[in-house]
This record gives sequence, C-alpha cells and structure tokens, in this order.
Amino acid sequence: MRQRFLAVLAALLTGCAQVPTERIVLLPGADGHSSGAVLVQRKGGAEGADLLLSTAYAQADVAGDGRVLPSTSDAATVQRDYAALMALQPARPRSFVVNFSSNSNSLTPDTVPVLASASTALGALKAGELIVIGHTDRVGTVEANDRLSLQRAEQVRGLLMAAGVPATAIQVSGRGEREPLVPTADEVAEARNRRVEIKLR
Amino acid sequence: MTALTRTLLALALAAPALLTAAPATAQTDAVTGIATNNATIGRIKTLTGTVSIDRAGQALPALVGMALQQGDRLRTGPVGGVGITLADDSLLTAGPSSQLLISRFAFNPTTYDGSLDATLSRGSLHVVSGLIAKKKPEAISFKARSVVLGVRGTEFIIDLGTEPL
Repeated sequence: MRQRFLAVLAALLTGCAQVPTERIVLLPGADGHSSGAVLVQRKGGAEGADLLLSTAYAQADVAGDGRVLPSTSDAATVQRDYAALMALQPARPRSFVVNFSSNSNSLTPDTVPVLASASTALGALKAGELIVIGHTDRVGTVEANDRLSLQRAEQVRGLLMAAGVPATAIQVSGRGEREPLVPTADEVAEARNRRVEIKLR
Repeated sequence: MTALTRTLLALALAAPALLTAAPATAQTDAVTGIATNNATIGRIKTLTGTVSIDRAGQALPALVGMALQQGDRLRTGPVGGVGITLADDSLLTAGPSSQLLISRFAFNPTTYDGSLDATLSRGSLHVVSGLIAKKKPEAISFKARSVVLGVRGTEFIIDLGTEPL
C-alpha cells in the first residue's frame, strides 16, 4: 500500500514516464566485445521486474512509474552523452612479468630491463602504484606456496626499491599456486608458473 | 595531586573507554576475515573540478593520489568528476553533481575473495568491475535510486540524470 502510494507520488513528481529517472547502459569490454552482464532489479524485489542486460549497448530505463524498460543504445549515443565521463576513467591496470630460472630461486637475466620498464611506466602515471604479485607452480602444499609466492614478491620489491622506486608506491602479495600461467596437475614442476607479476595501476 | 598522578588517573579512567571502543574500530569482514576499517581500499587517480569526500562526519577536499576508506562518500561539483581504482582493480568514475557511497569493501589479495557495495544517489557513474566480481559476481552490488544491479564481470554506466534530488 505504502509502496504503491510512493510509486504514484513518484509518477506525479516526474510527470509523464517519457523521461527516464535512471538509466543503465551495458558497455562493450575494452576489446570491443560484450564483457558480461548486468541484472537490473527493483529495490524491494518486485517479482518479474528484473531485466538482464547481456549484449553491448543493452539499456535499462527506469520510468517515472518505476517500471524497468528495456531499450538499446549505440556507440555514437554513448560517445555523445558520456565522452567526458569516460575520459576521466583511470588507466586500466597493465602487467610486467619476471621469471625464475628453472629449478632455482634466482630471477632470469631479462629481469633487469623488465624492472626498468615498470619503473619508467610508474613514473609516467599520475598516482601510480605497483602491485607485486608472486606466483608458484603446484609443487608443494597450498600454504607453502602462499609463503613462497610472497617471498618471491618481496624479493622483487627489494629489486624495485634498489632501482629507485619509492616503497610507498609498492604493495606485495602472494597468489600461491592459484593462478598458473600454464595449467598443470598438482605437484607438477612448471618453470613458467614460477613468476612475479608487477601490476601497474 | 601532582601532574603525574593526574595523568595516570586520566589514563586509568580513559582505558576502559578505549577498550570498549576497540571492537567498533577494528571490524573484520565476514567474508574474508580481514580488517576493513581505516584500511586503504583504493586511490583517487583522476580528478576535475571540485570533489570532496565525506569521512567520519568531515568533508575533505579530494586530491589525486588520496587513499580511500570503506564508508567514504564522494561528492563531485557541477563541473567536477573523479576516477578511482579500488584494490581489486575495479575502476569507478563519477561524473558531475554525483554522490557515490562505498559502504562496504573488502578484498583478500591472495584469494581474491571480497565484497563491494556501492550506492550512486545522484549523478552518473562509469564502472569497470574488478577481481572480486570475476571470482564471485554475487559478492558485489551497485545501488541506484530505485534499482539494484547485479554485475557479472563487465562495464556499464549508471545515469541518474541531472535534476537535483
């Protein structure tokens, strides 16, 4: 009853239902393809009022009377209405990777230029941060690999600091064996998975 | 009473209050079990015009590079805008005359478990969802005025128009 009263009041306040009071537009991903989906639900969960946006430029308009109406936008309209908004978007994270030599805990010789590239790119980004993330292969327990991956990340942090990157711009974490570059069965040694990712954002 | 005695007495009286206050300031997230209060959840990366942050009852002027905390409410002026990167790589960009509240954020950088609840009460918001949404889409939600958005790893815009509330 109260909800209905509010809905009527909202309709009166916004006049006719032609000007949507809320609009949701699904965008293509950075690669130009539709990246996922957004489920639009009325607050309070009115049955049957959900609308799934799952293709690029699918749009939901919430009318003055509270209905969620499907429509479609396009690249030119989004550009016209939201160019300024999208120009303010922070830089997407990008990654640099250093590897460990097979059967050793030492970094490969090409580490030095990679660290230099990461450091230079950091300097070019306003309020940039480096997230140093260690990874292992699947030899050993999950817990041991969590520790090992963090040690690897800290080793790379030390090298970045030695290269002049301020400590405040670096965070370290260990992903353990959760994110192999090359998927393997458990307990398989795989040098390509023993790596440290330096994520710039 | 000496100054030292007074100080000790003041400390003794204050101590129980500090102890009882402790649980409120040291919250842990139910999902990840990691501390969420006062921790940096993200940073301001881009900014134009006038932008402020409501935090603990104060309005702070926003600056590029500033660290954000759970519970922050960002407000942009009529020609303002702000872009932030959260710890899980979510990119949130608010347009002019916007109000964005980040009521809940937790992220475990080892497991990528976490949660994100944000509310846009006016203005516009561009979202690129991050690692939490990739791992567990139902752990994040964006609220607008009358709708709640469930997000399956994607990019979208919420636009509440320009009329004042």
